[in-house]
Amino acid sequence: MDTFDLLATIIKVVIVFVTILVTIIILGLAERRVSGFMQYRLGPNRVGPWGLLQTVADGIKFLFKEDIIPDNVNRPIYLLAPVITMIPAFMTFAVIPFGVPLEIAGHTVKLQVADINIGLLYILALTSVGVYGLVLAGWSAGSKYPLLGGLRSSAQLISYELAMGLAIVGVIMVSGGLTFNEIITHQQATSWNFWKQPLAALVFLVAMFAETNRLPFDLTEAEQELVGGYHTEYSSFKFLMFYMSEYANVITASGFMVCLFFGGWDMPFIDEKALGHWGVVLSVLAFVSKVGFFLFLYIWVRWTFPRFRYDQLMRLGWKVLLPLGLVNIFAVGLWMALRA
Amino acid sequence: MSNIQSLTYFLPELILTSSAMVIILTDVFFRGRNRNRLIWLLSLVALGIAAIFLLLQTTPPDAIFYGALAVDPYSRFFKWIFLLATVVIYVVSPYSRELDNNPRHEYYLFMLLVVFGLFLMASALDLIIVYLSIEIVSIGSFVLAGFLKQERLSNESSLKYVIYGALSSGVMLYGLSLLFGIAGSTNVFDIQAALSGVPDKAHLTLAVALLLVLTGFGYKIAMVPFHFWTPDVYQGAPTTITAYLSVAPKAAGFALALRILGITFGSSPDMNLGEWLPVEGLPFGTLIAIFSAATMTVGNIIAIQQSSVKRLLAYSSIAHAGYMLMAAAILNAQAVSAIMFYLAVYLFMNLGAFLVAIFIHNRYGYDEIEEWKGLGFQAPAVAVAMGIFLFSLTGLPPTAGFVGKVYLFSVLIEAQQFWWLAVLGVLNSVVSLYYYMRILKAMFLDSEPTGERISGHPALSGTILLLMIPVLLFGVYWSPLMNLVRSSLEFFSPGM
Amino acid sequence: MTTILFYLFSALLLGAALFVVLNRNPIYSVVGLVFAFMNLAAMYFLLEAYFIGVLQVLVYAGAIMVLFLFVVMLLNVQPDRPHPGLIHPDRWWFGIMALIFVSLFLLLIGQGVRALLTSPAEDAAGMGSVADVGEALFTSFLLPFEIASLLLTVALIGTVFLAKKKV
Repeated sequence: MDTFDLLATIIKVVIVFVTILVTIIILGLAERRVSGFMQYRLGPNRVGPWGLLQTVADGIKFLFKEDIIPDNVNRPIYLLAPVITMIPAFMTFAVIPFGVPLEIAGHTVKLQVADINIGLLYILALTSVGVYGLVLAGWSAGSKYPLLGGLRSSAQLISYELAMGLAIVGVIMVSGGLTFNEIITHQQATSWNFWKQPLAALVFLVAMFAETNRLPFDLTEAEQELVGGYHTEYSSFKFLMFYMSEYANVITASGFMVCLFFGGWDMPFIDEKALGHWGVVLSVLAFVSKVGFFLFLYIWVRWTFPRFRYDQLMRLGWKVLLPLGLVNIFAVGLWMALRA
Repeated sequence: MSNIQSLTYFLPELILTSSAMVIILTDVFFRGRNRNRLIWLLSLVALGIAAIFLLLQTTPPDAIFYGALAVDPYSRFFKWIFLLATVVIYVVSPYSRELDNNPRHEYYLFMLLVVFGLFLMASALDLIIVYLSIEIVSIGSFVLAGFLKQERLSNESSLKYVIYGALSSGVMLYGLSLLFGIAGSTNVFDIQAALSGVPDKAHLTLAVALLLVLTGFGYKIAMVPFHFWTPDVYQGAPTTITAYLSVAPKAAGFALALRILGITFGSSPDMNLGEWLPVEGLPFGTLIAIFSAATMTVGNIIAIQQSSVKRLLAYSSIAHAGYMLMAAAILNAQAVSAIMFYLAVYLFMNLGAFLVAIFIHNRYGYDEIEEWKGLGFQAPAVAVAMGIFLFSLTGLPPTAGFVGKVYLFSVLIEAQQFWWLAVLGVLNSVVSLYYYMRILKAMFLDSEPTGERISGHPALSGTILLLMIPVLLFGVYWSPLMNLVRSSLEFFSPGM
Repeated sequence: MTTILFYLFSALLLGAALFVVLNRNPIYSVVGLVFAFMNLAAMYFLLEAYFIGVLQVLVYAGAIMVLFLFVVMLLNVQPDRPHPGLIHPDRWWFGIMALIFVSLFLLLIGQGVRALLTSPAEDAAGMGSVADVGEALFTSFLLPFEIASLLLTVALIGTVFLAKKKV
């Protein structure tokens, strides 16, 4: 790997990391303001113009709060759990492409931090590892509400991983490859996967909501029931880490959804690659706007549906989504076999 | 050959698996009161159809599924043994009182799946299939051994079986992976070819791999020192399952071990059964002979002290595995045919003995030798049958057991090796006479005739008497069986 | 570069494995095992077996070990109490036997493996990608694949049968 590539990768990593952090900040504010508008009130608009610095103020508040570590926690695991949650949350975005390759100074720079040949599976693997953060956080707190919340949460996560994986299989089958570039290129050549496999898109969407612990599947952090779920005993910066990881997961999930079913950086009827630098800008804008729409969708759904009970949630994951995913795979396979 | 073409050769197994699926669905959707009977009937029908397809399979030896399974007379012979054992157990199971208040439909389902695993064991040619088939049989047996969920003994036996089985499977898998690493392929014929090119320094690795694989096989056939699970599992499991476990998986283990080890470490690639290929520092024949001696002796000596007949029969089955291993020390055609003959005969006599134990258990609920007292007068036909089974297990003429033992001994004598082993075998047979005759004594000599009569269900008694017939018949006229064995001695080999 | 990484990951793997076995707290052991599997996956990546490596993380470290963790937590397995006298009385015997056994084993296997490395075994290059594994899995290894699924079915039904309360 020559120095140019090395430099480009480092810059990409920095850009992606910073962008995620900034998006988290904006998302935190957007969530509160949009929720406010949906509930016919204004939401926080005092700090900074239109309340833009609200999340920054929140961050400062968290930093200055007293960092309480209860007596009966299991210290090493208690301190390790937020780290285990946060690392996969930020790592997952590495394989998501956010634009067409950029041509600079004779080199092609892919707008994707790492283009590995197992693409999709990387994200699935990291989400599987992210479960540990929750379950260890819940257990190490040494109290029954976090333990219950942690166990329920991880059971929910591993159940919906299955549905998520099955929904993806249909997409992989038609795209002929695991890497994101293959999937997006295929969607560019034919139509978006959403039109062709709406069932898979729906299953994937529901699974994503469950994977990120967002309403209507957030019973593990339900304030009304479990105090705070797995992050009850955490305060100050460690709580902030859980908070940020959740938003990072939401952003990655939206990016994932966009790339798989909505064409990624592709604008329909436009061939971005042919437009050179303007094509790059256009593709990045397209990606950002699509992801933005899904972030809005996350907030919108939050205040639209009531929370699922635990048994309803498990039933949905295993008895509804899993068979639907299998039906989708079967249908896609049948279609591919008949076409060939 | 390709996968689609292979399916036509795979019909018996396909019938078994598809009927298992049908039974699972029936189990879920059918809620009538006769569910157990219905599933029993379905399973028997499935076994019957599989038997018919097996009968119709007369093709020359071939390998299917890209060389993973062999379809040859050798595997067919063993599949018949499995089917016969399974049908006998199926016929008897509804009438075993031990299984009352338990979900029999699960029992039938698991036996069907275990039979599938046994079929695979008999035809395996690929290390992966070896492992998978052993696991299917093991896991099915774990569940069947723990079938009586209310009985502590049954739970204990299942737990011990699980732990021991998992450990042995792990060790065997490690050996298989070393073997794969040495040879570069999982197909036994490729391994056999690669072994000739192994550099000298790696012979020790090869020997270690061989020992580890032998551990796994030894666990399946209950060879000493891998036999420790047998008495507890056999005692705790329902008697029908014990009967099945003592015959079918043992036969499958022998079929698998003989084929896999014979091909990999035999001196000729087409299983024409020469001698064991000497691996450096490991005289394999002598090793098997030592295991055989240990197995026979341990089995017989510990059986002397048993008062529970089930446990006694468990140790006796260990001893019988030892007798068969005697012939396995010399791997030639005569040896393999002797083992196959003995397994067929052993099927009849061992199942018969266990069925009589079920008979006693139905009546008394226990199977200590005390319960057997006076059986000679209370149920004469059954007691006489048991007497014949016991004579056959000891190896006295004119029963089939005697003929089988003669064949096993003659292998050693004609090869003119391991004289000490043959002598030890005879001594062990004499020792076994003691504990078998203890049962006979209890049945006929230990109490006065009281005029009381016990009768079991006609299916149970009928099967016992039916099993007695081959034991007697093959004691005087055994050439049909021997001819069947000799004609089944064809193995698939890549040269064909 | 690869050699350095190999030694690094193997050292971490062995360290994690020793930690799993020697530690008194079962939760720490499970976390240690997860870490060991991650290092194992890293070594798979070094061998260019990308598919197996990511499957190791996805299935083994991500699903099976979570179940281990569940069981340990739900059974509330307590850490072992230390022996009186703070260190196990038979530690010298254990140590010596372990050392003899391990070194003997390594000698036997290692010598053989090194001897085999010089023999002509073809390097199965290019077999690590998903396409290659998929092709092998659906042609020559289709039967083991299907039988493995049957094995899992048997285990699943058996476990539910053994564990459920009402007959």
